[in-house]
Amino acid sequence: MAVIGEKLVKQLRSVGVKGTVAQRLDDAFTRFTSGLSWNDVRGVLRGDPPAKPNPRVKPHTEGFWFHIRPTFYHEAVTTLYPTFRLGMLSALFFLWETITGLYLMIFYTPSPTAAFPNMIDIMTNVPFGKFMRDLHRIGAEGMVIVVTLHMMRTFITASYKKPRQFTWFTGVLLLIITLFLSFSGYLLPWDQLAFWAVTIGTSMADAAPLVGREVNLLLRGAPDIGAGGLLRFYLFHVILFPLIGLVFLFVHYYKVVRFGISLPPEMEAVGDDTARKVPPEKRVNFLPDIATNEIMYTAVTFALLALLSATVFAAPLENHADPKQTPLHTVAPWYFYWLQGLLKIPNVIPGLGFLDSFFVNTLGLTPKVFWGVIMGPALIGLLFIVPYVDPNPSRRYGDRKVMLGIGAAFTALILYLSLAGRPLGVPLTGFGFVGGDPAVEVGQEFIPDEGEGIVKEMSFEALVPGSFEVNGSPNTGAAELDKLIRDINEDISIRKQQGDPNGRLMPADAKGSIQIEEIQVDVRKFTLFIDYTDAKGKPQKFQKYIFLHKESGYAH
Amino acid sequence: MFKKIITFRPSFTLRVLAGLFGFLLMLSVCMVTYVLDVSANLSERDIQFRGRLIEQGARYYKEQCARCHGADGLGIDGSGPGISNEAFLGKTEFREVDGQRVIVQTTPSKRLAELGYKGTLRDYVRSVIASGLPIKSSNVWADPHPPFSASYGGPFRDDQIDNVTSFVINWAQAPYPDANAIPPAPIGGGVVATAVPLSAEETAGQEVYLKAGCTACHAIKGVGAQGAVGPNLSKIYTVAAERIASEDYKAKLTGQPAATTAEEYIIQSIHHPGAYTVQKCPQGACTAGVMPQTYEQSISAADFKNLIAFLKTRK
Repeated sequence: MAVIGEKLVKQLRSVGVKGTVAQRLDDAFTRFTSGLSWNDVRGVLRGDPPAKPNPRVKPHTEGFWFHIRPTFYHEAVTTLYPTFRLGMLSALFFLWETITGLYLMIFYTPSPTAAFPNMIDIMTNVPFGKFMRDLHRIGAEGMVIVVTLHMMRTFITASYKKPRQFTWFTGVLLLIITLFLSFSGYLLPWDQLAFWAVTIGTSMADAAPLVGREVNLLLRGAPDIGAGGLLRFYLFHVILFPLIGLVFLFVHYYKVVRFGISLPPEMEAVGDDTARKVPPEKRVNFLPDIATNEIMYTAVTFALLALLSATVFAAPLENHADPKQTPLHTVAPWYFYWLQGLLKIPNVIPGLGFLDSFFVNTLGLTPKVFWGVIMGPALIGLLFIVPYVDPNPSRRYGDRKVMLGIGAAFTALILYLSLAGRPLGVPLTGFGFVGGDPAVEVGQEFIPDEGEGIVKEMSFEALVPGSFEVNGSPNTGAAELDKLIRDINEDISIRKQQGDPNGRLMPADAKGSIQIEEIQVDVRKFTLFIDYTDAKGKPQKFQKYIFLHKESGYAH
Repeated sequence: MFKKIITFRPSFTLRVLAGLFGFLLMLSVCMVTYVLDVSANLSERDIQFRGRLIEQGARYYKEQCARCHGADGLGIDGSGPGISNEAFLGKTEFREVDGQRVIVQTTPSKRLAELGYKGTLRDYVRSVIASGLPIKSSNVWADPHPPFSASYGGPFRDDQIDNVTSFVINWAQAPYPDANAIPPAPIGGGVVATAVPLSAEETAGQEVYLKAGCTACHAIKGVGAQGAVGPNLSKIYTVAAERIASEDYKAKLTGQPAATTAEEYIIQSIHHPGAYTVQKCPQGACTAGVMPQTYEQSISAADFKNLIAFLKTRK
């Protein structure tokens, strides 16, 4: 006590009360920043050149947060190319999802009876609820894109080569974790979209040989997705996958710091790795250059996401999940379209049918098992071994034509399979097309089972009660309804002339009609009828209806 | 150009300006979202979702409820009472209260008052849909309202019951006139008025029909008899007259003299059901010996006379 008091008295005597307070505050500030005084920080923010010796390296050696980051970067990696900041953005998206996810967690209960009402509550009663949900969703999809682009960039610049093989390996793990994170979150709203996408996804696990049943039970908690499955997916989404992701994020980033960010290939000789040997004149200090750069990228990216969420982007929410009603054309999330395309492969890549029969007949594997459970993961598995099988020591583009060709072919294959994985299949050729009866398809076109639809988004006033024939020159008194009838008429006549990729034609005598009834105040029922004679000469009547409330506000 | 983009390194000033701009943009987006979204859109979306849930309710109603209560909720003779009428729903309207739109019950439900129900209309509708009516309380309807909640063995989840309830109650904004609807069962059982006015004797006969066990197998339109084992008796007097003239009756009749009038045929069919078995029943060909042979003993002569009088009105 006496010692401290003595010091204080000395200080007060030499600089006065004001000076003492200022000095003490600056001391505290310096301890907080692990070595930077207030003036140092102002210098950093003003862009002043550092003093000598440079006080700005201190936080890197003394403090926890900055010790994770390197003290300086090589000048050549601080431009947009070669990194495009994709690695940093991936990590930022992870943080972004954590923050928005925590907010959503407050209002969410992982139970089939509560989850969907919680969603409606978040949309209608929680301040910023819809905004946060949109941000979380756009962040999730953005993260899948950014992480994939990050991997592609690493492949193109050959940064996976010695000594960074294991960095690449953990990167592929992080890509898989990203996909799993995104996919596990898909189920949580417990709407039709979520339920059926995840049912499709987990049915792959079910098909796995030997352990399929057990894996499926582990994932879903029961033979079908229900309360157990939802709780498990929730725990995967908020605890298990983030935890694994965080562990590998640190391993990954430690390797990045340890070996340095690889220089652009054209700057290095064959077999060289000079990223760690940075000559003093090429060094760019983390403080202030890299730090301010990152802050800028963070602010701009997040502002962009916020702007998109506040304007055009809206996370979809369909009807409450119903295990008894499978919506037509159910699909997996878009980043798994390629896997769906793979399942259809005999229809997607002509000439591969023989492989199917080979595996079914000789090995006793079903196509689902072979393509979905073995080949799908094998494609991802290929990514793991890239650095260990690529014998080329050079990172220069000119020396790597074969590998870059393989990469381009792989990307093209994934894109092609993704196109084919959609219900519509590949444009022009129609490979992978999935569609049923033409009349049902017309119904789906205008009144889809789930999600946004043309009739749904019409203004309520345009739905004039009455019965109308579908023909080329309708006169209902409402322009919007007239347009709808013309569109339906055109759709039917096109289907009469051109068959779908499976060759199914709408019967020539098909005749559409529409009935709109007011069944309650502000509630109308819209029914589409299509009368036709089927191939056996029997008259058929297709009908599909939808109820619409005046205030439900689907129209934009 | 490409080279310029990929070697782009923002200057310090640009970084600070762009970062500041991004930060301010994000802040303003949040603030604008707050102003537009939280204060105004939240209640607007509340109204939207109310509409969407009613749409869902309409779908479930059509799939599960319309077959007894009718697509228009006016009820179906012999199956279920009307529920879209003013006597049941009363009347509601939307009013602005403190800037919020709320539903106000302007005319109370007569039916709830009659039942002495203590909860709200919504509670009543919801509970009947969910758990049904536990016991058969009248002879008007063949079956009490079945439970629809998955908790009691029905098809609906809780949210579906809520949605159907919202849809049903939505009729209260403009309920149909009571005269158009099939009325519900009177409290304490009894017989609902039918289209044909009945004499005292015939009414007593209808009571006999409803209580003696006939309803278990034979449906009669309009009196709540829904059995689907034996032939439908809605037009038995007409049918009986045709029957005695038919070749099938003359050929197959055993052990009893042929009836000469429709009335005799009806009496014979009840007292001696084994004498002649008709061909068509609701579930296919009729089987001989299904109808009990004991009605001659179990129904008193006076009751029997009334019963025949009642059946003679079914033309």
